Amino acid sequence: MSEKKYTEEHEWVKLEGDTAIVGITDHAQESLGDIVFVDLPAVGKEVKAKEELCVIESVKAASDIYSPLDGEVLEVNENLSNDASIVNQDAENEGWIFKLKVSDIAQVNNLMTLDQYKEFLDK
Amino acid sequence: MTEEALQDIYLNNFHKNNNAKFVPFAGYHMPINYKSGIINEHIHVRTHSGLFDVSHMGQILIPLTNVNILALEVYIPLDIKLLQPNKCHYSFILNSHGGVVDDIMLSKIKIEAKEFIYIVYNASRKKVLNEIFKKTIVNYKIIQDRCLIALQGPDSFSVISSILNLSSSMKFLDIEILEYENTKVFISRSGYTGEDGFEISILDNIAENFVQKIIQNKNTILCGLGCRDSLRMEAGLSLYGNELNEDINPIQAGLSWALDKSRLKDKNLNCFQALSEEINTSQSIKRIGISPVNKSMLRAHMTLHNENNEEIGKITSGCYSPILKKSIAIGYINKTLDMSEKLFVKIRDKLEEIQIEKIPFVKKNYKKGD
Repeated sequence: MSEKKYTEEHEWVKLEGDTAIVGITDHAQESLGDIVFVDLPAVGKEVKAKEELCVIESVKAASDIYSPLDGEVLEVNENLSNDASIVNQDAENEGWIFKLKVSDIAQVNNLMTLDQYKEFLDK
Repeated sequence: MTEEALQDIYLNNFHKNNNAKFVPFAGYHMPINYKSGIINEHIHVRTHSGLFDVSHMGQILIPLTNVNILALEVYIPLDIKLLQPNKCHYSFILNSHGGVVDDIMLSKIKIEAKEFIYIVYNASRKKVLNEIFKKTIVNYKIIQDRCLIALQGPDSFSVISSILNLSSSMKFLDIEILEYENTKVFISRSGYTGEDGFEISILDNIAENFVQKIIQNKNTILCGLGCRDSLRMEAGLSLYGNELNEDINPIQAGLSWALDKSRLKDKNLNCFQALSEEINTSQSIKRIGISPVNKSMLRAHMTLHNENNEEIGKITSGCYSPILKKSIAIGYINKTLDMSEKLFVKIRDKLEEIQIEKIPFVKKNYKKGD
């Protein structure tokens, strides 16, 4: 299992082989506040990196979730349709949103490490 | 929004020290929520009590004279002379075609034997209203040395009674002048949540002491504008800038109950003609409450459509209702709509089915008289 990577759109990515598990960071859920609905993407959908893929709704507003990498949606976290607040409780584990079959693993190098993400947040 | 720097409300540091998250609102830096979050604050107000600092709102004291009454009645559809003193009246400042320049709370109060008209108005409309006041009324005082604190929820009476000497006969919309630390506080049994509660106008320099005393009560938490918005939506209350603006009149907004009908025949009311026509003819648009058939979130500005995908209205406010555990919204539709047709909302270019809901969405819990 590789270490987590991060995007400037506040998503985290964990690679398992050529599968990427994606969610929003703890910092993101904290600033969104109470999350009430996740409009999950369709399984099988093909996306490019930085494309809008789905929407997360907090009490305050709707926010787009972008795909961190090129790939195809393999699976979505159906638990979130029953209880979107899982994202608030455990954004970086149980609150994962979708899994991607990654088409170009090399793209992972464009993402930030945890230290880089922390630095990015401090800016 | 203007580009001017945001103003702080008087208790800004107090809110900071209590871990408030801030947002810009109507030119002010305002708490949107505190640590426990909007949903928890919302439910706390419905079950216990929550304290809101709404000091951004405008407050004005106007000497109760014939000259001032006549001047105000040009814009306000109330018969001010006949109003009972010590009662709050929800009303409007109207333009010449009946559009809402602002929605207000107006009361007649007596301070040290002098009679005044006391008006609370929206922060977002301060500039416009202050201009109207300047042109029309005399000897008034725009209050700038008082906070406005709202305590809302079923426990409000017992919490406030431990601090102020309230009369137990005080009912919804009553207003009293009471003593606190040798100063005068204006306290009304009113609010913007659909719950029993109070709004308290208190001098800046003792406001923190007062607020600290209230939140020492274990049944009271600090609440921000986030839950104030979802609470007022559940209660079906209008928000200026969303449901109300200068192109919508109170009848269209479902607020004709707040108009004094005798004033609609009075030529001194600048919009008497426009409003009496509106009340006698069929209205062009109509306010409705809606909710989604599935789990989508409804938001302001989304368009409403009929089965043929024709646009027939718009959402003015939408939120997640923590009590109903689904999204609710208020909007306007064309009056001519066939209500047996299915209705849809456009969310991110997809049409999703919605249903009409009764307003208020959640029953109000005011302390009414017998």
